[in-house]
Amino acid sequence: MSNRLELLGALAAAALLALAPSRAAGQAYTPPRTADGQPDLQGIWEVRTSPDKDIEKAKGVIVEPKNGKIPYLPVALAQKKQNEKNSATADPLNKCFMPGVPRINLLSYPLQIFQTPGQISIAYEYIHNFRNVYLKRAAHLDGIDFWQGDSLGHWDGDTLVVDVADFNDQTWFDKAGDYHSDALHVVERYTRTGPDTLRYEATIEDSKTFSMPWKIRVDLHRNTQPNARLMEYECHYLKELAESKKESK
Amino acid sequence: MKKRFRNFVLAWASIGAAYLAALPAAAQEPPPGGPPPAGAPGGRGGRGGGRGGPGRGPNLPPPGPTPHMADGHPDMSGYWNAGNNGGAVFEVQKHAARSRSLPAGDGAIVDPPDGLIPYQPWAAEKAKDNFEHHLADEPELHCYESGLPNQMYRQFGFQILQPAGYVVMNWEFMHAVRIIPTDNRPHVLPATKKLFQGDSVGHWDGDRLVVDTTNLNDRTWLDSAGNIHSDQMHVIERFTVQNDRTIDYEATIDDPNAYTKPWKVAFTLNRNMQPNYEQMEFACIEGNSDLEHYQTTLGGKAK
Repeated sequence: MSNRLELLGALAAAALLALAPSRAAGQAYTPPRTADGQPDLQGIWEVRTSPDKDIEKAKGVIVEPKNGKIPYLPVALAQKKQNEKNSATADPLNKCFMPGVPRINLLSYPLQIFQTPGQISIAYEYIHNFRNVYLKRAAHLDGIDFWQGDSLGHWDGDTLVVDVADFNDQTWFDKAGDYHSDALHVVERYTRTGPDTLRYEATIEDSKTFSMPWKIRVDLHRNTQPNARLMEYECHYLKELAESKKESK
Repeated sequence: MKKRFRNFVLAWASIGAAYLAALPAAAQEPPPGGPPPAGAPGGRGGRGGGRGGPGRGPNLPPPGPTPHMADGHPDMSGYWNAGNNGGAVFEVQKHAARSRSLPAGDGAIVDPPDGLIPYQPWAAEKAKDNFEHHLADEPELHCYESGLPNQMYRQFGFQILQPAGYVVMNWEFMHAVRIIPTDNRPHVLPATKKLFQGDSVGHWDGDRLVVDTTNLNDRTWLDSAGNIHSDQMHVIERFTVQNDRTIDYEATIDDPNAYTKPWKVAFTLNRNMQPNYEQMEFACIEGNSDLEHYQTTLGGKAK
């Protein structure tokens, strides 16, 4: 009798082990590959709760420094407070300007990642923005600046690391006036954490604005609807519609 | 000033100079035919714009066979320019010269044979009104994407990416995008949902990509001259890859609301053969609305 019980116990244990997820605690998710062997990050992704209102007040978004506060230099902090006061007119997004990085990944509009051997591109529903991440160019461009920066990518295991530089000083990080200079340098990390989740991290450094680098982390979620597609959020068009309604009153 | 920005400013300045040269000496009235189209490459005549050349030249080897992806479909990835399309970006139909900066052109219409848009009377009236009074309302001046077929002959060229299951086209101009799934999926948007670039679905037919687009809004023009379509427009495009640097492009435009019959444009797309070419950023900001800010005579609103 006890032998049968032991046998049943062993079989039950074996069955449970067979059904258990095949990863031990702490082991990363291994995503499928594209045809040319890149970890596949493709799909339509979106934040669930956008931290765009105020990135400092968004719980758990700033992971470094541990106190969750952007490490402004004193003069820059004064500027941030001024920006915040004037946000309604001064926020570049209120004029439908380009959001910059990382703000563009954190808005409540989806993005779609496409991967090809030499280039990864990200299309955005927000005013049809489009970022090109070059996998084969070694160095950032000289003597030019961009609203969305110049993005160079490489793989670190299954994480896509994107080094973004050559920014202008025209964009903010959120509606609360958090801003940067043209010395901004962002290093992004895109890591699949499950079938329908993509972890997005960005380390932000700017020696003219911050006393040290700071880091954000946000999980993006896949749109799993069949035949899902990006729609169009055409900020300029909506703004003009609103203005013409005001004028006709 | 950063070099690329300086070149961009010079390009715009040349358009401004051409425009001012076309103005009558002391008058405040606009030149015959109105201002040049948004961002038109100054001084390039009717050759359909775009940096990077036509894919032909004395130092290039002759065209090679069509390259194919591992899945057997033609490899169209890379940078492309619209080839000679009779100045379609200025006016898609056959047109007379408007000013020194806006030459005559045959346009890109191959059917009907007279090269003219077969307008319904109301649509012809609207297009005429646009041309005579509302050129400052050109959608591109408002940072809108160009819709179809206009997007395909917009200036500065475009890139084709072919990730799995898609053909993605992106233009430097207005950072416009077209995302075309190639799995022959159905249109799923309700007819009431209208988009600037419409809803495109594609499938491969040998070395030809066929793209079917519905759900277009009526906020785009066919060109800079104010030619219009309605939101009932249905466009079927055929991209037929001929060799390693030439795609024959053809689009059939069917819009019974605006036209008396379907009509067709056709021109080639030529591969940009410049090594290490990349597109630049195009930031649509307040300066792009300048025309309407100071030219009430062109139908803009003074601010």
